Amino acid sequence: MDDTRQRILEATYACVARWGLAKTTVEDAAREAKVSRATVYRAFPGGRDELVTAVVAWATLVFFAKLREQVQGATSLEEVMERGLTFAHRSIVEHEVLQRVMQTEPEKLLPALTFESTRIRQGIAGFLSPYLEQRGLADGVDLAEAADFLARMVLSYIAAPGRWDLDDPVQVAQLVRAELLAGVVTARPGEVDPS
Amino acid sequence: MPIQGAALRVVGDENAAAAGDAGPDAASSAAPSPGRRSASPYRERIIDATLACLARHGTLKTTVDDIARGAGVSRATVYRVFPGGRDEILGAVVDTEMARLFSALGVKLGEADDLEDALVSGIVEASSRLRDHQALAYLVEHEPEMVLGHLAFDESDRLLGAASRFTAPFLARWMSPMEAGRVAEWATRIVLSFAVSPSAETDLTDPVTTARLVETFVLPGIAALHTAVAAPSIDITPFADRSSGTERLSDTD
Repeated sequence: MDDTRQRILEATYACVARWGLAKTTVEDAAREAKVSRATVYRAFPGGRDELVTAVVAWATLVFFAKLREQVQGATSLEEVMERGLTFAHRSIVEHEVLQRVMQTEPEKLLPALTFESTRIRQGIAGFLSPYLEQRGLADGVDLAEAADFLARMVLSYIAAPGRWDLDDPVQVAQLVRAELLAGVVTARPGEVDPS
Repeated sequence: MPIQGAALRVVGDENAAAAGDAGPDAASSAAPSPGRRSASPYRERIIDATLACLARHGTLKTTVDDIARGAGVSRATVYRVFPGGRDEILGAVVDTEMARLFSALGVKLGEADDLEDALVSGIVEASSRLRDHQALAYLVEHEPEMVLGHLAFDESDRLLGAASRFTAPFLARWMSPMEAGRVAEWATRIVLSFAVSPSAETDLTDPVTTARLVETFVLPGIAALHTAVAAPSIDITPFADRSSGTERLSDTD
C-alpha cells in the first residue's frame, strides 16, 4: 500500500474513532491526513463511500495482522486456536472504536464487515491449513473442507461467544478440543478413545 | 433511516420495536404496552400480507396502506390490531417468523429417532427455511443492515440464545441438559454461518451433505464434549498452564 493511501486510511480511522462512520467526511479525512481533498479523491475515487469501505477493510486487516502475530510461535494446532480465540475475544471486547460504532451505527458498519468476512474466512482457513496438515487429519477429512469449517466456527465464536466464557482458559481449551477439533484431527497419542 | 434495526429485534424484546421513529401515522398511539398483544383474527392475515410486501419492496417502501390492501382489510383495522403501526407490525413479523421456524424445527426434532437424525433434520429444516424465505432474501439483498444486526456481536448472542434454548430440550433426550445447550448452540452457529455465507461445496439444505458434515465434525465433537464433561480423560490442559506443569482438569458442571 502506498504511503498516501496508508496515511489517508489512518486519518480516516482517527476521524471515525472521534465522530463515527456517518459523520466522517472526505474533508475531515483530508484535513486529518494533511492532504488536499483532490488527493483523497485520487486515492479513493468513490469518495466517502469508498473511504468507509476501505477503512473497515483496513481496520480488519490490522486486527488480523495482530492476531497472526499473537499466535506466532505456537507449537501446536491446539495452542494456535486457544491463543487465537482468547486474543480475538479480548481484542473485540476492548476495541473501543468497534464497540462504539456497533452501538451507535451498526447499520453503517455491518454491510462492510460482512463484505470483508469472506476474505477473512479464507485468510483464517489459509493460516490454519499448514497446522492442520502438520497435526494430521482424521480419516476421510478433506483439508480444504476442514479449514473452511474451522474458520467459520472461529469467526462465529469471536463474533458471539454464546455460552462459552472465552476469558476462561479451561473453557477455551475444552471448546477447541471438543467442538472445534475432535472430528477434524487424529487423536493424539495417549488420548485415544477411552471406551 | 426510520426503523433502523429496531423493528427487527429478535423475540423477547417487543418494546424495542416501539422505541424508534414510529412515523406520522402513529401520532395518536403511544408505545404499545407489554401484553397488549391482540388475538385478532386479522393478526395473521396482516402479518402474511406484510411478508408478501417485504418480499417485493423491503421495509423502506412498504406502507401501512400496502399492508392493508394486501390483507384485504381497512387501514383502521390494521391500526386496531397494531396500534404502533408499521414498526409494531414489523416486530410482530419477526416474532411470528421465528415462532414458525421454531415450530417446524420442533416437529422435525420431535420425530427424530436418534441424535444424528435430530441434528441432520434440524439443520436441513432450518437451512431450507432460511434459504427459501423470500422476505428475508429481499432484505439480505437490498437492506442488509436490517438483517446483519442480528448476526454479529450482542444481537447474535441473543439469537443464539433464543435458538438454543428452544432446541436444547429436544436434544436432552440423548445427553445432559448442559451438553444439550452447547450442542444446540453449536448447531445454530453452523446453520447461521452457511446461511450468511453459502458454500459451493457444502449445501446444508441437502440431507446427504449435512449428514456427512454431522458425522465428520459434529458427532465426534459431541463425544469429546461428553468425555471432557463426564470424566476429563482427554487432555484439555490449556496452553497457558502447560508450561507451568499444572494439571488442570475441567470443572465444568
